[in-house]
Amino acid sequence: MALTLPEGDLQTRLERYLEGLGNRHGLEESEIVDGVVRIVAKKVDVPAVLATARETLGIPHLSFITVVDRQGYFELTYELIDFRGATVRVKTSIEGDEPVIGMVTGIYPTANWHEREAYDMFGVAFAGHPDLRRTYMWQDHFDHHPLLKSFEISTKRTFEGLR
Amino acid sequence: MLGEERRAEHEGALTEPPSSRLVSPDIRDEFGLETIDMSMGPQHPAMHGLLRLILALDGETVVRCDPVMGYLHRCHEKIAENRMYPAVIPLTDRLDYFANMHNEHGYCLAVEDLLDVEIPPRAEYIRVLMCELMRLASHIPSIGFLMLELGAFTPILYAFRERERIQSIFEAVTGARMMFHYIRIGGVKADLPPDIPQKIWEYIESLEAHFQRDFVDLIQGNEIFISRTRNVGKMTQEQAVEMGVTGPALRCTGVDFDIRLDYPYSIYPELQFEVVTDTAGDVEASYRVRIAECLQSISLIKQCLEKMPEGEVMGDTGRRIRPDEGEGFGRVESPRGEYAVHVVSDGSDTPYRVHYRDPSFCNMQLLQEIVPGHYLPDIMPIMGLVDPVSGGWDK
Repeated sequence: MALTLPEGDLQTRLERYLEGLGNRHGLEESEIVDGVVRIVAKKVDVPAVLATARETLGIPHLSFITVVDRQGYFELTYELIDFRGATVRVKTSIEGDEPVIGMVTGIYPTANWHEREAYDMFGVAFAGHPDLRRTYMWQDHFDHHPLLKSFEISTKRTFEGLR
Repeated sequence: MLGEERRAEHEGALTEPPSSRLVSPDIRDEFGLETIDMSMGPQHPAMHGLLRLILALDGETVVRCDPVMGYLHRCHEKIAENRMYPAVIPLTDRLDYFANMHNEHGYCLAVEDLLDVEIPPRAEYIRVLMCELMRLASHIPSIGFLMLELGAFTPILYAFRERERIQSIFEAVTGARMMFHYIRIGGVKADLPPDIPQKIWEYIESLEAHFQRDFVDLIQGNEIFISRTRNVGKMTQEQAVEMGVTGPALRCTGVDFDIRLDYPYSIYPELQFEVVTDTAGDVEASYRVRIAECLQSISLIKQCLEKMPEGEVMGDTGRRIRPDEGEGFGRVESPRGEYAVHVVSDGSDTPYRVHYRDPSFCNMQLLQEIVPGHYLPDIMPIMGLVDPVSGGWDK
């Protein structure tokens, strides 16, 4: 029943995470800024990077997955925390008309609903996801993904006069 | 403690895990056993808001539990993309409506992370004071709801008496009873009225005097309470961590994770408090953790009042808030767990993207994991363990 949480000095832990992830995967960028390990990985590498983080480095918790619609490509942020002050922030981008990325539900089971939410709101598909249904919107007869920038809301405020 | 003694006689019968009640699918097929699908909610008097659970029942044992969300979804994240930065704060109030102050605080921390504005120390103390009062106003009713769902009517009356008194304090400070719009980017809206610190102190003293009587002696040791909650919703640390649970639901399994200590924000490093844990990991343990956290909050409120410095309550953010391109993160410990906000700026005066990580949403995944194997009436105490709020999971 006992779970071992990471121990030791924050800075050495951050360096261990950076080194552990950087050595195994060809990362595009990796640095430590303000107690956060920032990583930019290729789309195909993300499940492997998170698998290393969980299984080899022992980071127990996936906090959230944010999708940002950059009008042309999607930017995904996976925020991992180790419960003791260190944060690992993995960023990736998905390009193309049909956004698909490998799922991480098999690695962090809590990602299940985060990925369902991302699919519901942005139409980003997670390959291999066991239960990719919409979380909030209607299951049938609703073909929109509301958080896409192309989905206009009727009460859009522009504040033109103030600019 | 008569109940405790009586309970000890029956202890053996309760130790078998609920999963042992489940019939394996092979046997089910062989004997042609069928399960019944039942829908619980969204309009259910004991459900925490608008939640629908699709249950598969084998007799009275739940085989599968599938929560359906979206009945209260207002797409706050989309509305926030079309409003200026300060105008998003009233929206965050409407997320988890039992932790409004924490929602505002988390959002303001994220925007301040983008802006690099200096917060006056008095504003920080007022923020923490308000957040801890809010935590009391959330934990005490959640204990009341748990008891109400088990059939005890008195604790909810006591709980709402306390919540009303705290709301009166909020009304005097912020002008509103629930949707405060008090914590602003750069500080707080207004200073405390001159008589309020004394009033809060008197209220906290009186709460401390009767807290043990009303919420501990009345409930703990009651035989019905113990038989409905002990070993119900039992989970291991691994299960809780895997499902992304945070807050009291995680701490009742023994993981001492508290954002106030592990990812310190505001003035929490200057204050003395303990992270309360329990080892049992069932509904009763979560009740004990909430009770102990209320006492910690009382101590934190006293420390805030004692140490509160004089001075300004609003930092200089300029007339228009227009951060540079970039990202801001804010993370606070709400009464239900880790509440995180991720704000993406494109350099204009409206956020490009706002993402809320709400603890109610994440903790609810636990239902799929721990409800199977329990009897149907055990779902209510388990909802009291997870303690989700409708506005939180349906952003």
